[in-house]
Amino acid sequence: MFRTKRRTVALVAAVSTGALLLVVLLAGWATSGSRSVADIDGNPNAVLYAVGHRPTAPGFTATTLTGSRLSLSSYRGRVVVLNFWGSWCVPCREEAPALAVAAQQYQPAGVAFVGVDVRDTTASAEAFVRSFGITYPSVTDASSQITLDFTAVVPIAGTPTTLVIDRTGHIAGAVFGTVTYEELTTILNRVDGKAAAG
Amino acid sequence: MTDVRAPEAGPSPAAGQDDRQAAPAGTGRPAGRAYGIADWLKWGWRQLTSMRIALVLLFLLALGTVPGSMLPQEGADPAGVQQYYTSHPALAPLLNHLGLFNVFAAPWFAAIYLLLFASLVGCVVPRTFRLAGSARTLPPRAPRHLTRLPHSAEYGTALPPDQAVEVAAAVLSGHGFRLRRCDAPADGWVSAEKGYLREVGNLLFHLALLGVLVSVALGGLFGYKTDRLLVQGDTFADTASALDEIHLGRLATDADLAPFTITLNHFSASYITSGSQRGQPLSYDAQISYTAHPGGPARTDNLEVNHPLSVDAAKVYLIGHGYAPVFRVTDARGQVVYDAPTPFIAASSGSSGNLLSEGVVKVPDAQPDQLGFSGVFVPTAIDVGGTLESAFPAADYPAVSLIAYAGNLGMDSGPPQSVYALDTAGMRRLTADPQSLLPGQSLKLPGGQGTITFTGYVPWVSLAITHDPGQVPALACGIAALGGLLLSFMVRRRRVFVRARPGGPGSTVQVGGLARTDASGGFEAEFASLAAELRSAHDRAVHAQHEEE
Repeated sequence: MFRTKRRTVALVAAVSTGALLLVVLLAGWATSGSRSVADIDGNPNAVLYAVGHRPTAPGFTATTLTGSRLSLSSYRGRVVVLNFWGSWCVPCREEAPALAVAAQQYQPAGVAFVGVDVRDTTASAEAFVRSFGITYPSVTDASSQITLDFTAVVPIAGTPTTLVIDRTGHIAGAVFGTVTYEELTTILNRVDGKAAAG
Repeated sequence: MTDVRAPEAGPSPAAGQDDRQAAPAGTGRPAGRAYGIADWLKWGWRQLTSMRIALVLLFLLALGTVPGSMLPQEGADPAGVQQYYTSHPALAPLLNHLGLFNVFAAPWFAAIYLLLFASLVGCVVPRTFRLAGSARTLPPRAPRHLTRLPHSAEYGTALPPDQAVEVAAAVLSGHGFRLRRCDAPADGWVSAEKGYLREVGNLLFHLALLGVLVSVALGGLFGYKTDRLLVQGDTFADTASALDEIHLGRLATDADLAPFTITLNHFSASYITSGSQRGQPLSYDAQISYTAHPGGPARTDNLEVNHPLSVDAAKVYLIGHGYAPVFRVTDARGQVVYDAPTPFIAASSGSSGNLLSEGVVKVPDAQPDQLGFSGVFVPTAIDVGGTLESAFPAADYPAVSLIAYAGNLGMDSGPPQSVYALDTAGMRRLTADPQSLLPGQSLKLPGGQGTITFTGYVPWVSLAITHDPGQVPALACGIAALGGLLLSFMVRRRRVFVRARPGGPGSTVQVGGLARTDASGGFEAEFASLAAELRSAHDRAVHAQHEEE
């Protein structure tokens, strides 16, 4: 009787160890979440959020490169392209011409473009804006405070990041990393019917 | 350590024997049958949970960490790994294949770790059941001849045997012994046992060791370490895009970063000014203000070496400092295209270089050509044979020395660049010799390409932000392991028996003692004092009876 008990104990130990190992292993790849987002053209870093699953864009009021104040809330009722950039950042320089062209095309239709200049200085940022012929305003975010606030709702992992905010102040699409003209226009055309006037 | 698990070495020898005896009897199969898979599994499990294998695994684990401290590691020192690749082009890919540049994430390291974990669990669980069982089991009956035991005493008392046993039982119980009384008072004996804490300590040690492993795993899975260089006057928010280096644990994400904001208000360093230790740092003091979360109240703190800031489960350490010379660059068209403090990094670690620092200035939006500068900053400049050297780490006489380039910085497309390195492949050198500047001085670039002015300098600090959820549990488990080890070494499992037989005026009392494990000795003295106490208790009882009469 004692022997069977001892064997049971050994069995319990073995099974519990095995279960523990399994949990540790499974935990490694049990990280995927639900899919209320869709990739654009197979790029997992370019996503569209389904209506009803769009994160609310945090508000900010900050100083622009030219010294005036800009509030995101003043754009409510318009579609906003919010581009996080820095003059020091190679992919930002790579995507800047596409953004400049898209802004020229979509601004007349009422789409607003706003830059968030991350970890930069005014002199360098102004030089960048001149170089690439950027016509829309940028607020300075040297401390990354605005970036931090947005990171709470969308997974911004670095600069650049481009967000498209719908008329109700919700984030409809995001490109984490370099944005292409096609990706940006795809998101803009799908935010709602009215925005696709370009 | 070897001693700890030895007395009852897991289920292996004892349980193994039992099984071998039980199998033929229970199943009726011959003893010499071939081993099946189940037998091999059982054998493997027994081996794994044996003391010997556990020690081998522990040794392998320690051995596995050696390359981690000898070779540069991806997580801690990616630049060192790159350097190793260039200096050992043949060896490095082989080492990388073996995971030696990232030891703690290597599969073989995880294998050792998990096997040790399994071994410990396999040992601890059966032991716990056995301890529970032995705690419920009564001490054995008293042997007939107590004088044959290693420790014994004999004396006469006027008390009758049953009373003598009662008095002895009271004394032993008062010393915390567990008692077993004789079934009939006429038998005249009591057994007592003490020292269960030894096995408790032993188990505590094993459990705590498991706890240490779990804690380290917790830290590795959910912890993170990040770095940020912060110039005096600047603010940064603790978010992925504001950090210079991020090393996340397996199950940690960017979202786990604590959302605090830190501003470096002022940094000062003091140095030894004379003697052979001249230039050695005396103290660093980084005055910061911070908010623990967006919208939270602003607080101030002083960061010093070994005085980190604790904020929201993360710790912020001051790990380095340096100078950021401030440059203003005007391009060929007269536009100010750069005006910023530019962190320069000490060329040699330690204080030997007196903070002679190197850095680059990139001006990608200068027109018509992009401009780049590579330079040296010296806090206290001296001229040694035409080259700028630093005589002291404090900024007593700062100067910079610059080489200017014009052309293509390679920043408009291609892979991300380090802000501390200049890719001069697409650039032409504008100045033949390095040009030295003092604060306020300017260098006019040849060909009307523009001007660079060294306008001043500000200090910077580098901060390491770490979160290790396993740290506190690991410490607690370490202390518990030590406590368990001490208990199991210091507590002895010992038994004391008392027998009283009719003899003389009352009875003859025999006391016998047996220490089951007495590696450290000392039971002899305890037994002697216990025997003396029993005897005087009997004498007192006799006196008390006389007084009543």
